[in-house]
Amino acid sequence: MTHKKIDAFINYLLEGNCNESVTSAKELHNEGISKEQIILEGLEVAMIQLGAKCTVEQFNLLEIMLTGRAVMEVMKYLYPEGSIPEKTKGTVVIAALEGDVHDLGKNILKMVLTAKGYNVVDCGKDCTIQQLVDAAKEKSPFAIGISGLVTSIIPLVKQIRGALNSQGLNNIKILAGGAALKQSLKEQLNVDYIADSAFDGVHYLEEIRRK
Amino acid sequence: MNSLERVVATVNFKKSDRVPVIAQVFGHAAVLKGVPLDEYIQDGEILARCQLDALEKYKYDAVFTVVDVNIETEALGSILDYRKNQYAVIKKYAFSDEYNIDKLTIPDCKKAGRMPEVLKALKILKSTLKNDVLIVGCVLGPLTLTTQLLGIEKALYLAIDEPENFEKILDFSCNVLIDFGLAQISAGAHLPIVFDSSASPAVVPHNFFREFEAPRLKKLFNAFKTGGAIANWLHIAGPSGSILPYYSEIGVNIANFDYCVNPEVAMSTLPETCLDGNIKPLAFVENNESDILSESNQLLDMFSKRGGFILSSGCEIPPESKPENITAMINAVKH
Repeated sequence: MTHKKIDAFINYLLEGNCNESVTSAKELHNEGISKEQIILEGLEVAMIQLGAKCTVEQFNLLEIMLTGRAVMEVMKYLYPEGSIPEKTKGTVVIAALEGDVHDLGKNILKMVLTAKGYNVVDCGKDCTIQQLVDAAKEKSPFAIGISGLVTSIIPLVKQIRGALNSQGLNNIKILAGGAALKQSLKEQLNVDYIADSAFDGVHYLEEIRRK
Repeated sequence: MNSLERVVATVNFKKSDRVPVIAQVFGHAAVLKGVPLDEYIQDGEILARCQLDALEKYKYDAVFTVVDVNIETEALGSILDYRKNQYAVIKKYAFSDEYNIDKLTIPDCKKAGRMPEVLKALKILKSTLKNDVLIVGCVLGPLTLTTQLLGIEKALYLAIDEPENFEKILDFSCNVLIDFGLAQISAGAHLPIVFDSSASPAVVPHNFFREFEAPRLKKLFNAFKTGGAIANWLHIAGPSGSILPYYSEIGVNIANFDYCVNPEVAMSTLPETCLDGNIKPLAFVENNESDILSESNQLLDMFSKRGGFILSSGCEIPPESKPENITAMINAVKH
């Protein structure tokens, strides 16, 4: 019975149905399914299925946004008022840097990471390098994710590694993505990885966590 | 042949003296002249002078009055943040709070925001260049303006949650753009290029494009053709391969294709449409002259039998690009 309910929950998430997703999560929780299980067997599975559909050729950002919105609503129910799960896969700080046109890419990454069980610290848009470094010092992430739509932010992206290293934060991995940054090379940007999509970026983070 | 004649011949798949080359030089024109970008985007006279100087230096086949992607949304009430030597960014979207969807008013292009500066720039360019060089104005696509009015996430969620209201705003956006585009043609533009970044398959799926955006683009282009545009030029960056099949029906005469689109696919999908592209924009910053020349020559070879091709970048040439790289692309068509 519970398996069927979890399957239904996953379907609601994949349909982007916020109300039914939250109702379904409440029912599962009331039946004794832990919050961690709801994330692991529900949200994460939904994201894995969505990720498998979203190849470079068949990328549907709107679909991801809709599932992402349902995921975030479920998380709000599970962890109200900004509380975070006791167990996470680790912390990732994300930001859109100052001067960029919008932060949609960052927000997509946030949804996917959240559904996959990471603790996401969102520095918002228009973030300065100093704010990013301050967040890294305070939150001890294992990675930072930067999205960039315009080439004018590239000089800022190149500064991140040095700014982190100057504070002894050499071990933090830097993940870059977005229309402008994807045109470059990781060596040029001084980052550890350039992701083709949010799913590709999360796949990279999963890999480095295992090492 | 002058530049305008060359472009027109190419768009119509007729013989021209050489392949046209159009560098998508916008803010780079300000950088060349040492003008801060924030001044360039706010003053039509400065914009026109910088474009004319860049044309004099590079001798390509078109000038642009592309300022940034926020002209229309600012005219409708969005608040922008102007920063030293940068393009403006939206601080507050016009429709971020309350708006009456049934009482939206089309702005007066002669008064609203920076629209008059764009018209001023076009008048200067037309009085200087007359019909020697292609003068390109610019409007957004209806979907892109809608996302610039609401914020991209709010707009896309509205499309799913309240499609009727979303379509009302799309229609309103389309009417704003028709008005602004026709004003640009009257001021001297040979055509307004339509920038529709939010319609890219990187953002919305192709069936969304077909259902919501294609009919509005068709209406927009019909209005421009009727208003005197010499051709309809659509610019959708990113992986546009899946929406190219709709371009003919929309009425596109020049289709920009970005670096991530295979030229062979673009050619086979649009056999009767002039294509412009598709050197990677960042290559003008990070690569060198021989790279650009080599890529230009590859494109020229690919299109040599077909014709209907304008050598260009896939999107804007970044302001900070190396001038010698732009020269390398231009030299490719002249040697």
